[in-house]
Amino acid sequence: MAEPGSLAGKGRDVNLRRWQGLSGALALLAALGWVLGRMGFFEPGRLTGGLVNFGRFAAELFPPDLSVLPVVLGALIETVEMAFAGTFLGFLLSFPLGVLGTRTLFPRPVVLAVRLVVAVTRTVPSLLWAVIMVIVVGLGPLAGTLALAVYTVGYLAKLYAEILEGVDPEVIEAVRGLGARRHHLVRYVLWPESANTVLSQLLFMLEYNIRSSTVLGLVGAGGIGFYMQVYISTLAYSRLATVLLAVLVVVVVMDVLSAWARRHYLLDT
Amino acid sequence: MGIRQVANTEAPALTAAVDVRDLWMAYRPDEWVLKGVNLRVPKGQLWVVMGPSGAGKTTLMKVLAGLLPFQRGTVEVMGFRLRGDLTPPSRRVVGYIPQQLGLVRGLTALENVLLGSLARHGGLGPTLGFFPRSEVTRAREYLEMLGLGDKAETRVFQLSGGERQRVAIARTLMQDPKLILADEFVSDLDLPRAARILETIRGLVRERGLTLVMNLHEIQLVQELADHVVVLKDGKIVYHGPAGTLEWSSFRALVEAEDGRTGVAGW
Repeated sequence: MAEPGSLAGKGRDVNLRRWQGLSGALALLAALGWVLGRMGFFEPGRLTGGLVNFGRFAAELFPPDLSVLPVVLGALIETVEMAFAGTFLGFLLSFPLGVLGTRTLFPRPVVLAVRLVVAVTRTVPSLLWAVIMVIVVGLGPLAGTLALAVYTVGYLAKLYAEILEGVDPEVIEAVRGLGARRHHLVRYVLWPESANTVLSQLLFMLEYNIRSSTVLGLVGAGGIGFYMQVYISTLAYSRLATVLLAVLVVVVVMDVLSAWARRHYLLDT
Repeated sequence: MGIRQVANTEAPALTAAVDVRDLWMAYRPDEWVLKGVNLRVPKGQLWVVMGPSGAGKTTLMKVLAGLLPFQRGTVEVMGFRLRGDLTPPSRRVVGYIPQQLGLVRGLTALENVLLGSLARHGGLGPTLGFFPRSEVTRAREYLEMLGLGDKAETRVFQLSGGERQRVAIARTLMQDPKLILADEFVSDLDLPRAARILETIRGLVRERGLTLVMNLHEIQLVQELADHVVVLKDGKIVYHGPAGTLEWSSFRALVEAEDGRTGVAGW
C-alpha cells in the first residue's frame, strides 16, 4: 500500500476527490429531477398544454392598447421615484450598518447584533414588506418606498459589511498607527478602498428595485403594479401589454444608464 | 491610562530611543514568537534588524510601534513605556512603515501624506476632508522634497513601486516622528532603487537627528547604510554589532547554526 505522503498516495487522493465531485454533481441532478417530477414537470401534456395556453395569452396581448399610455406613464414615473427614493434611503441606512457589522472595527457583540437585525430584515420578501408598510402608513407610494428601503437594507448592509471586512487589514493597521480614530478609518481607509464595490452594488440594487417596485402596486403600495393588477383581473391583456412594454423600456434605459455610470465614475483600481 | 511618560535620568547622549528588556510575545498561548528579546537603540542611530523568515522581525517591529500587545517584559519607546494596549500616545513620536507600506490605494499621494497629521487633528474638519492649510502646505513640501511634487494629485494605485515608497516616507515624516520603524519596506524593489530610497531616508534621519530601526535582508545595503545590526533568529537576538563588521558568511553561519549561540562584536 502506498504511504499517505507518497506520490502514489497523492495521485489516489486526487482521483478520490474527482469521484467525490462527480458523485456530488450527479446527486444534485437527481434531486432536481425528483423535485420537478413531484411538480408534474414530466407529466405528458402538462407542458405542451401550457404552451398552448401561453400562446393564447400572448395573442391577446397584441396589439397593445396605447390609449392607456398617459395613465401608465404617470404610474411608471411614480414607480421610478419609489425605486430611487427607496434605494437611496436604504443605502443611507445600509452603509452605517455595514460599518457597524465590520469585525475589523467593532467588538463582536455589536457586530453580531447588527448582523442579526439585518438577517431578520432580509428574510422578509419585499412584497411582504409592502403589505406591512401599507398597514403602517396606508396605501400609496410612501408604503412602497419604505418597503424597498427596508428590503435594500437587508441586502446592502450584509454586502457592505463583507466588502468592508475585505479591506486589507495592513492598511487599516498602518493608518491606525498614524493616530487615526475609528471615524477617520471609515472616511480614509474603508470608504476609498471599497467605494467602487459599494457604489457598484448600489447601482445593482437600484436596477433590482426598479424591477421589484413594478409589482408592489399589487398590494396597494403605489406605482404601476396597481394597473397591472387591474388589467389582469379585468382580462384587459392588450392594456397589460402597454404596461409591460413601458416597464421593459424603463428597465433597459436603467441598465444602459448604470452601465454608463460604471464606466465613467467607477475607477479601475 | 495604560502608558506613562518615563522620566529620564540618563545623560541625553546616552538616552535610548528604544529600550526593550526580556520581551516575550505570543499570538497563541505558549507559542512564543519573541523569546526574551533585549534591545537598546541609542537616539540618533540607524539600526537594522536582520534574520531569516519567521524569526519574529515583523512582530518585534509591530510591538515597538504599539500595534501588538505582548505578554512579558518591558518596552520603552522614546521615553514612553508601552503596556501592551493598543492606543499608546507614543504614536505621536513614532512613525511606522509596514512591509506593504499600508497606503490607501484609492486616495491621492497628497491625501495619503495628510493622513500623517491625523493624530494632531481629531475634529470634524479632517473627517469631512478639510485639513488645516498649514498641514496641506507641509504635505506638499514633503512630496516636493522627495521628488513627487508633480504626483501630489495622482492616486496611489497609479504610482510606481518607488514612488509609493516615497509617499510612505512623506506620510511618516508628516507625523513629526522622533523614531521611525520600517519593516522591510524596500523588499519589493531592485537593489539600486532600494539603495536610493534608503539613502534618502538615511539623509533625512541624519539631518533631523531622528532614530531609525528597520528590518532589512540585503546585507550589502545593511553594511553600507546602517550604524548597527542585530540578528534575530527564532525569537532571540543571536548577534549584535557594528553593521560594517558583519559579513555575509558569518550572517549565514549564524542563521544556520542549530545551537542558537549568540555573537557580540565590538561591545
